[in-house]
Amino acid sequence: MTTETKDCFTIDGKLALPYQYFAGSTGSRFIISLREEKKIKGLKCKKCNKVFVPPRSTCEVCFEDISDNWVELPNTGTVTGFTIVRYEEPHQPLKPPYITALVKLDGADTPFAHIVKGVALSQMKTGLRVEAVFAKKTTATIMDIDHFRPKAEKPGFEQGYTYDQLEEGMSASFTKTISETDVYLFAGISGDFNPMHLNEEFAKATPFGTRIAHGALPQSFIAPVLGMKLPGLGTIALEVTTRFKAPTYFGDTITATGEIIEKLPEKRWVRMALTFTNQHNKRVAEGSALVMPPVPMKSSIT
Amino acid sequence: MGFKKKNRHVGIVGIGETKFSSHREDVNQPEMIHEAVKDALEDAGLTMDDIDCVVHGNMELFEMVHQPDLWHTLGTGARGKDAFRLTTGGTTGGTLVGAADNLVAAGMYDTVLAIGFEKLQEGHTTGGITNMADPLWARKLQSGALTDSAAVKAIAEFGPDRAKKAAMLYRIIMDKHACLNPNSHRAFGLDWDQMADLMENSPPLIGDLRLIHMCSQSDGACAMILSSEEKAKQQCDHPVWIRDHITIHREETLNLCVNHYPNETTHRFAARHLYERNGITDPLDYFDVFEMYDPSAWWGADWIRDFFLLEGDAHYRLIEEKEIMRGGKMPINPSGGVLAANPIGATAMVRVAEAAKQVRGNAGPHQIPGTVNHAIASSFGGTMWTILIMLEKELNW
Repeated sequence: MTTETKDCFTIDGKLALPYQYFAGSTGSRFIISLREEKKIKGLKCKKCNKVFVPPRSTCEVCFEDISDNWVELPNTGTVTGFTIVRYEEPHQPLKPPYITALVKLDGADTPFAHIVKGVALSQMKTGLRVEAVFAKKTTATIMDIDHFRPKAEKPGFEQGYTYDQLEEGMSASFTKTISETDVYLFAGISGDFNPMHLNEEFAKATPFGTRIAHGALPQSFIAPVLGMKLPGLGTIALEVTTRFKAPTYFGDTITATGEIIEKLPEKRWVRMALTFTNQHNKRVAEGSALVMPPVPMKSSIT
Repeated sequence: MGFKKKNRHVGIVGIGETKFSSHREDVNQPEMIHEAVKDALEDAGLTMDDIDCVVHGNMELFEMVHQPDLWHTLGTGARGKDAFRLTTGGTTGGTLVGAADNLVAAGMYDTVLAIGFEKLQEGHTTGGITNMADPLWARKLQSGALTDSAAVKAIAEFGPDRAKKAAMLYRIIMDKHACLNPNSHRAFGLDWDQMADLMENSPPLIGDLRLIHMCSQSDGACAMILSSEEKAKQQCDHPVWIRDHITIHREETLNLCVNHYPNETTHRFAARHLYERNGITDPLDYFDVFEMYDPSAWWGADWIRDFFLLEGDAHYRLIEEKEIMRGGKMPINPSGGVLAANPIGATAMVRVAEAAKQVRGNAGPHQIPGTVNHAIASSFGGTMWTILIMLEKELNW
């Protein structure tokens, strides 16, 4: 047998497959509840007590008609499985990467597929507690639930990443424009009334030619990063070192960024690289920090 | 042909049909199928516990749903049971009955549920037929499900006047039947005096095939329960016996308008073999009713000749003398046929179901007068796939 493929032609084809899908009156009632009441409803089999979400008019196990036995469910549930979509296709609901997950609502027996937002891809996990976020605008589809987001189990405080959750390469930043007022307030706070910060005529005579901000002012912008973003609430800063590279003028917009560069397993601390850049992407300072990430808080606080 | 007699007799013990319609927004696919399944189980007085195997089918790609049988388990009752999916185009419904017949006759299962469905409003038939391959390469003339080849052939043979009249007469007879069937999708209430107007003014589709001649696209499902003789007699007072069926596929693609090579149509070939092996010499005399898969009035009128092995214009005379109407010599499609409703994957099964109901005598308002002892139903698929299924009232052959 010969397998010679020379002079064997291929004919290219493409199928057009337009279609509709009728949700039916049962499926439509589910969508109407989402649209009108922002409530997720399921159908319960009277025989085996299973609650199906999205609803189905028959329980295929008991072969019973259950289409009139509606039950209301909370907007909260647990992720029973997930996948991270990393490729782009026209039919997809979002630009990748994004998370699709199976969410089993509290009180339901069947999970259903939806989108989870508000959690780092690396932090996504089965068992995550989530709650539905309803869409601002209705489309009369399952997308009337816009997505699910992690549910804050203890409302009030969203604790930062623990040592185990942190990975090298994770980063966060804080940005703010420095005004004349900021500099005057900082002078008052620190007692540093140096005329190079406060007196324009004096400043003209310095190498900078105009007033500049105190070096510690942009440096202080790393505090909201460490304490409120990465690692976040509950972090204790052990050491912050900064080397100033360029002046900060009034009106400059400074971005302070912290990146995890090393995990220290013995102490369960992390070392972070710090950078401070202005609106021209010029580095005004750089440094490093050593921090103790949050440990689970005492229940009396939360 | 390597035909062997059945291992054991098979009877129809339950029949279920949905109402046929152009739209069923009120149900999704499994819900629609569930209606027919429930109807068949109720008709048979059985529950899903009595069903050993489920065969399920529709026209491939018409709803653009991949593996619908898995999803449809919600409505079919197939969960945890042996199951098959079959898809043979327009013939699917007949293939399902034939397969269920074989499965029971073979002794594999005592009771089999066959389900055919289509929800054409959700899909795009042209996507599933015409766009499936290169329009020219290795094909004959293709215009999807629509073709006027039967019209061209009939007009060449009988002249335009007689041929067009016969087709329109056939169409109006079918509509009169459809008006009696509560499940019909299309029942217009046409009358004889509209013939000339319709022949002239019905929107043309292709050549002499006009809109009025052609079947519709429908949503609907049909379910049938078949049991072995022993079981059927326990389950049912009057099972309808499937005496024999034949399923033939021998033409590569649609015939060209005029035969360029001498051949016997698949319909005639199938009918001849079926009658020969069952010792039926005069089918027109033997059968009491015929449910034909007639996708258009042109085809329906033409095919009578092949199915009853007639010659010359004998089929036209049957139409012209209205012998194919209820009360006539050979009532064809008391249900209204495919012109009344065409939920494709169910259509061929509906032919068998309707023929079986006529044998039982409980078809409803469209039950034909007199006793029906012998019935026959045909299935048709895009590339001249023919299935013929013979039904009997008594187990006496």
